[in-house]
Amino acid sequence: MGRDFDELVGGDDLEPEEELRLREVHDLLVQAGPPADLTPALERMPDEPADAEILSFPMLPRRRWAAAAVAAATLAAAAFGAGFLIADRGGSSSSVEAARVVPMRGASGALASIRLGERDEVGNWPMELVVTGLPKQPEGAYYTLYLTRGGKPRVPCGYFRVGDQTTTVRFTVPYKVEKGEGWVVTYQAKGVHTPGRVVLTT
Amino acid sequence: MAFAIPAPTVRLVTRETDADLIQRAGEGDRTAFEALYRRYARPVFGLALRRLGDRGRAEDAVQETFASVWRSARTYRPERGPGAPWLYAVARNAIVDRSRGRTDASGDVPELASDEPDPAERTEQSWVAWRVHRALEELPEREREVIALAYWSGLSQSEVAEFLGIPLGTVKTRTRAALQRLADVLEGELE
Repeated sequence: MGRDFDELVGGDDLEPEEELRLREVHDLLVQAGPPADLTPALERMPDEPADAEILSFPMLPRRRWAAAAVAAATLAAAAFGAGFLIADRGGSSSSVEAARVVPMRGASGALASIRLGERDEVGNWPMELVVTGLPKQPEGAYYTLYLTRGGKPRVPCGYFRVGDQTTTVRFTVPYKVEKGEGWVVTYQAKGVHTPGRVVLTT
Repeated sequence: MAFAIPAPTVRLVTRETDADLIQRAGEGDRTAFEALYRRYARPVFGLALRRLGDRGRAEDAVQETFASVWRSARTYRPERGPGAPWLYAVARNAIVDRSRGRTDASGDVPELASDEPDPAERTEQSWVAWRVHRALEELPEREREVIALAYWSGLSQSEVAEFLGIPLGTVKTRTRAALQRLADVLEGELE
């Protein structure tokens, strides 16, 4: 829509330089067009703990998970005073299209995120775990990602080892994650097959 | 297992540059991240909506953009450029990710040249809209309202005045003040 600068602003009393400056902005406004109206889901970035607890899976509409996940990731990682060292570039390069992202944190600045994908037609849930800050494990030791029930590690989702840098591992699990459940990562010493010491938690 | 939880960082955000905010977000400062969200949620959504043509997918792209910003803010280097282009690149990547797998498989070749802008023009338009919509977020509500009505509602200045219940002169004053503020923001962010 071409609006006339003189009609909108009037320029008679403006210094030429200032008029030129405002005309440029005027032209940019015309060129840009109206901004999009945010949807209710985007209108407010949730910042209350109650919102961060909205992490049920799959009990919420997909977009609300995502909103809650961003808020939860923000709250959790910010609360622990450290940033995620998950991606080394802008934009997502994950192979798992996230319906929900769950942050994890641990002692000594260890951080992780779980990207949960959509359930496939037979009931498998893809997930991608990105971990940074966990100590390298000795030979024979490893870490395990557990689904928790009642706050206790109950169901293993996958096993992994970490290197010096950020480690990314992908699992597929057939478990339905209920509201109130979470994840922990345990350290499994060589030969120990029951859940070990918890090093990361949601 | 007990964790030592440091006290949350509480800092006032007053006209900080995007670069400052990105850097602070990279240090885990939630306040700065929220300020970025307030500045950029609308521009990201607008960009995504234009590219994807679907509000749901655009919403997802916004979520993914800010998740990426949070994850990768510490990789931002202010000496390589201002924050707005960096955020634009992050958003564009998230939107491109969302647009994959949405290719029209009909294989029909159009017989006539499209009137649509070519990719270079579209990129230029997107970048202009990005900058302008981001700058609009800096305006006081009453100035933003006047700009929206004056430029995009189709109302005349007199009708805007009547709609808002303010004198015509006030509409013009606010419009001019808004343009001056926008000019300052646009110059400040991109110098």
